[in-house]
Amino acid sequence: YVRPHGNSRNAILVSHRQKGNPLLKHIRNVRWEFADIVCDYLLGQETCALYLSVRYHLLHPDYLYFRIRELQKKFKLRVVLCHVDIEDVVKPLLEITKTSMLHDCTLLCGWSLEECGRYLETIKVYQHKSADIIQGQMDTDYMSRLNHALTSIRHVNKTDVVTLGSTFGSLAHIMDASMEDLGRCPGIGERKVKRLYETFHEPFKRVV
Amino acid sequence: MVQFHQHIISELLEDPTGGLVILSGGLSLHKLISNLVYLHHSSQGTLLILSSYPSQKQSILNYSNSAGTLAPKISEITSDLPSHHRTSLYTSGEVIFVTSRILIVDLLSNRLKASEICGLIILNAHTLSETSTEAFIVRILRSGNSKLYVRAFSDNAQAMVSGFAKAEKILKCLFLRKVHLWPRFQVYVSQDLEKEPPEVVDVRVPMSGYMIGIQKAVIEVMDACLKEMRKTNKVDVEDLTVESGLFKSFDEIIRRQLDPIWHTLGKKTKQLVSDLKTLRKLLDYLVRYDAVTYLKYLDSLRASESFRSVWIFAESSFKIFEYAKKRVYYCKRLEDGKIVGQSKAAAPKKRKLQEKNKDKEDSLPENTNSKVVLEEVLEEAPKWKVFREILEEIKDERQKQALSTEEFVSDTEAIDNRTVLVACKDEHSCMQLEECITKGPHKALRDEWEKYLLSKVELQSLPKHDRKKKPQESQGIGVLDGTIRKTSGNNKDVSSISKQENDALLAAATELRKEVKKDDGTNSEIFEDKAEHQKGKKRRASRNIQTTSNVDDKNSDDATVNKKSEKHPSESRKRIDPKVIGGVHTSIDEGISADKVTIRKHVQGVDTEGTMLPPVHFYAIESDTHILDILKPSVIIVYHPDVDFVREIEIYKSENPSSKLKVYFLFYDESTEVQKFEASISRENAAFESLIRQKSMMMLPAYQEGSFSGFEPPMEPASTTSQNSITRKAGGRKTIEKEMQVIVDMREFMSNLPNVLHQKGMRIVPVTLEVGDYILSPLICVERKSIQDLFGSFASGRLYHQAEMMVRYYRMPVLLIEFSQDKSFSFQSAWDISEDVTPNSIISKLSLLALHFPRLRIVWSRSLHATAEIFASLKANQDEPDEAKALRVGVPSEDGIIEDDVRAENYNTSAVEFLRRLPGVTDSNYRALMDGCKSLSELATLPMERLAELMGGQKAAKILKDFIDAKYPRLL
Repeated sequence: YVRPHGNSRNAILVSHRQKGNPLLKHIRNVRWEFADIVCDYLLGQETCALYLSVRYHLLHPDYLYFRIRELQKKFKLRVVLCHVDIEDVVKPLLEITKTSMLHDCTLLCGWSLEECGRYLETIKVYQHKSADIIQGQMDTDYMSRLNHALTSIRHVNKTDVVTLGSTFGSLAHIMDASMEDLGRCPGIGERKVKRLYETFHEPFKRVV
Repeated sequence: MVQFHQHIISELLEDPTGGLVILSGGLSLHKLISNLVYLHHSSQGTLLILSSYPSQKQSILNYSNSAGTLAPKISEITSDLPSHHRTSLYTSGEVIFVTSRILIVDLLSNRLKASEICGLIILNAHTLSETSTEAFIVRILRSGNSKLYVRAFSDNAQAMVSGFAKAEKILKCLFLRKVHLWPRFQVYVSQDLEKEPPEVVDVRVPMSGYMIGIQKAVIEVMDACLKEMRKTNKVDVEDLTVESGLFKSFDEIIRRQLDPIWHTLGKKTKQLVSDLKTLRKLLDYLVRYDAVTYLKYLDSLRASESFRSVWIFAESSFKIFEYAKKRVYYCKRLEDGKIVGQSKAAAPKKRKLQEKNKDKEDSLPENTNSKVVLEEVLEEAPKWKVFREILEEIKDERQKQALSTEEFVSDTEAIDNRTVLVACKDEHSCMQLEECITKGPHKALRDEWEKYLLSKVELQSLPKHDRKKKPQESQGIGVLDGTIRKTSGNNKDVSSISKQENDALLAAATELRKEVKKDDGTNSEIFEDKAEHQKGKKRRASRNIQTTSNVDDKNSDDATVNKKSEKHPSESRKRIDPKVIGGVHTSIDEGISADKVTIRKHVQGVDTEGTMLPPVHFYAIESDTHILDILKPSVIIVYHPDVDFVREIEIYKSENPSSKLKVYFLFYDESTEVQKFEASISRENAAFESLIRQKSMMMLPAYQEGSFSGFEPPMEPASTTSQNSITRKAGGRKTIEKEMQVIVDMREFMSNLPNVLHQKGMRIVPVTLEVGDYILSPLICVERKSIQDLFGSFASGRLYHQAEMMVRYYRMPVLLIEFSQDKSFSFQSAWDISEDVTPNSIISKLSLLALHFPRLRIVWSRSLHATAEIFASLKANQDEPDEAKALRVGVPSEDGIIEDDVRAENYNTSAVEFLRRLPGVTDSNYRALMDGCKSLSELATLPMERLAELMGGQKAAKILKDFIDAKYPRLL
């Protein structure tokens, strides 16, 4: 086990065991090199991954357990990257899930080698990235925000947002529109009128 | 009560376990149910009615109320009702509407005993499946009460035949053996309905040239899309016809075929599916909307459709836009003082149109600076004229009748029969037709047109989009000859409006606006104008409509228009004096709860000679209120033909055989409207024929009393152990030694997983959880996401928050990603994976989630059933979860949790979701906002200071306020 240093810090370290794995062909956006490591892929200081194809698991059901045991407690994030390469997957996947869970591994599934490769690349590239993109921040321009808000109401689509916007002129006016006015908008049927009106006019908390 | 309803009921009563009734749409299911309920007596036990739509519930309640005091009392259980009230209702022996979600929770927490219930009535049986909550309920009830009857109903035969042996599966999951089919062509039904048929007049209205053109073009594009679809080799070609494309169910057909592979489809195929949907709407709206509204819809569509849409760039689509525009206006060019048409081919037609509209046309003052001038066409919907003619015909007929039979007819009778019912598809058409007869068709259309123009005015102040600048040159060449216009490589311009035309529109709009300003006296900023307009509307909605002399009240734009017409004598001649317009008087439908139903009114129009037209009542078929019995019309004009409504008329007639009834049908000749109407009948017939075949081949097990589907009868009285522990051996599984227990969040009962877990033999404990959806053990907490939820909650940031909470409170927090059985088990196809690492990809999001929460475990489940297996396996060596502890987790200490708090129903969830998506609103301040104001509409009116107070800061308040009040950017 060699700790990455110098110019190899930006590369994914790949165990010699992985030699010949066609997955390697799909790691294209990040440099990788072979190294003497205990895991299959070393993606960061404390991040590692084991690769397992479901087909292989069926032949060697104990393999995963022994590989995980080898890892010991060196890593903070331990990924089991599972390549789903058979059709009838329920039973083997249950076993893989159970083993991963009971031994503190995060299971990620890919349905193609491209997808598996992409997980490795992404985890490597994003290892220091903030969680912004999964914390609900989105485009901040007016239209995106208006779409974001209005389309949360069931059945309302983007065309309706344009219709509502251009008919009423502002969100304040949309929120204040009567059922009848809403009903006048092309494309806004009975169902949408009701939904919109209820959303805006029914109290947040229903009276108990 | 019609005869065949009696037949249905007596047939149904023969089998004490119940049965499934499938009848044709429009055969007054609500009356059938009401009559069935009528037979209930409280000594039998309590009768529950499940899974009714709100409109069905309302109809049944209304009908039963009108039946008088002898009818059994029908109550309703909502979660607002405290649990002890619910408990006492369950034992009351009454008839109760209840939602499946409340019922299953109450059953699982022993708030009612199976023995208290004598039967279930389940509506909309076509929505059931083996895993649905209703099946869960029936299983539990049946196992505790062998005498229970279940009567299920559906009036949607088509939905009953979608999917393999669906009817049989539904029968099995309700433990029923009999299916009763009552199609319209059944002998008793047709005998009943055809004994005294109403007098029918079928009016075929030819469409205008442009409408035909648009219809042809849309169908061409649809056809092209379908051809593309076939090329993908992913769908069964047989169902892919333009005809089937006219129906909503077409989406279902396609989705059903594509769903299993949906995640592996390319973008193009997905786009085609959504394009076909758009095109279907275009066809529908063509016969429903007036020319201006249609154009406006197209404008919105163009502004919102992404560039990915295939159809917008199809060559025929150009025609759709072009013709739609020509129904409203065209541009003519001024050169050396004379008018030059844009193309030779188009010129003669235009001249014709000009002639046709000569008296009506009043072009706006010409802007001499611009070379292109707008010429209005404002084509009226052809049905309008015919509609008016029919009304006049009715008037004449009645006058004649009145003269000949004056002495014999008593006053009341004469008045009762006077109302003419006009049935339109939607509220929008109702309002418009009403305007047509009160104001005259041309003025109604003009109002729309002026609104359309005014909505464009704002554009001037905005920077112009260069993309749209394009010289006039080839516009419209050859279009009318039907030859295809040569399109340049740059397809974008095909659909965009040329700059000059744009200018002309703006000039007209500005002109109009100036007039509004000048004449209106009051401040005529459009938005204030709008606000006033709305106030007017509201006043109207609150039923203060004594509008005999005050038509202006109905539409504040009138002020503008009236002033305007003074300037144009030709128009003012046509203008209808408001004073002549008699009695626009409201009559709220008796018996229909006033808050839910939009007001309906009788409107009296004036014909050209100024005499009164018969009073008219407009009815929107969409609203699904059954109005015939209340209104008792003698003449019905079916403006938008609809099969279900036709049947309703038939029933009404057969129940009132003595009263005369004349029905006019208005069809656009050779339109998709006709095609659709006819096809919907034959489709339903085909569905019933298929059901009849299925019925003859069904293999149903004989259920023995007390042992339903492998259930063992209760060995001991239900009092000692909890209700559902008795049934833990469900689904024929081996006895599990240790009783497994899962704590399930109340909201999860919307899904089918609790049912499947119960089938697997687990005890389900329903509670309201603050953290997680399922608690498997003191250590394991599971947040369950379907694929759709997963994408959504990544986007909203909710998943991040949920993961944060789970990680904080549980040793083994689990994210369960659950695929659905009938869809493919994968996120995407290999070719959808982009070249590089991109932040939008689901791979990136999951990777980030794993990086930020290394302790979060991810479970991938193939299906509901696989999930149940996984749960059982994960629980195997763990302790059982502690209910009391799970309840306390994550609950803010200051507001202690109320015992029966079912959040989804105590909150207007849609409004809360909306609120949380507004800029400035955060997880920490949205609760305060909800406490500080009642509703979103009130929020919009709060002043800055108050907002700042509630949101805890000026900055957030300003962001919110600015967003709410921001003017919507107008684009052409």
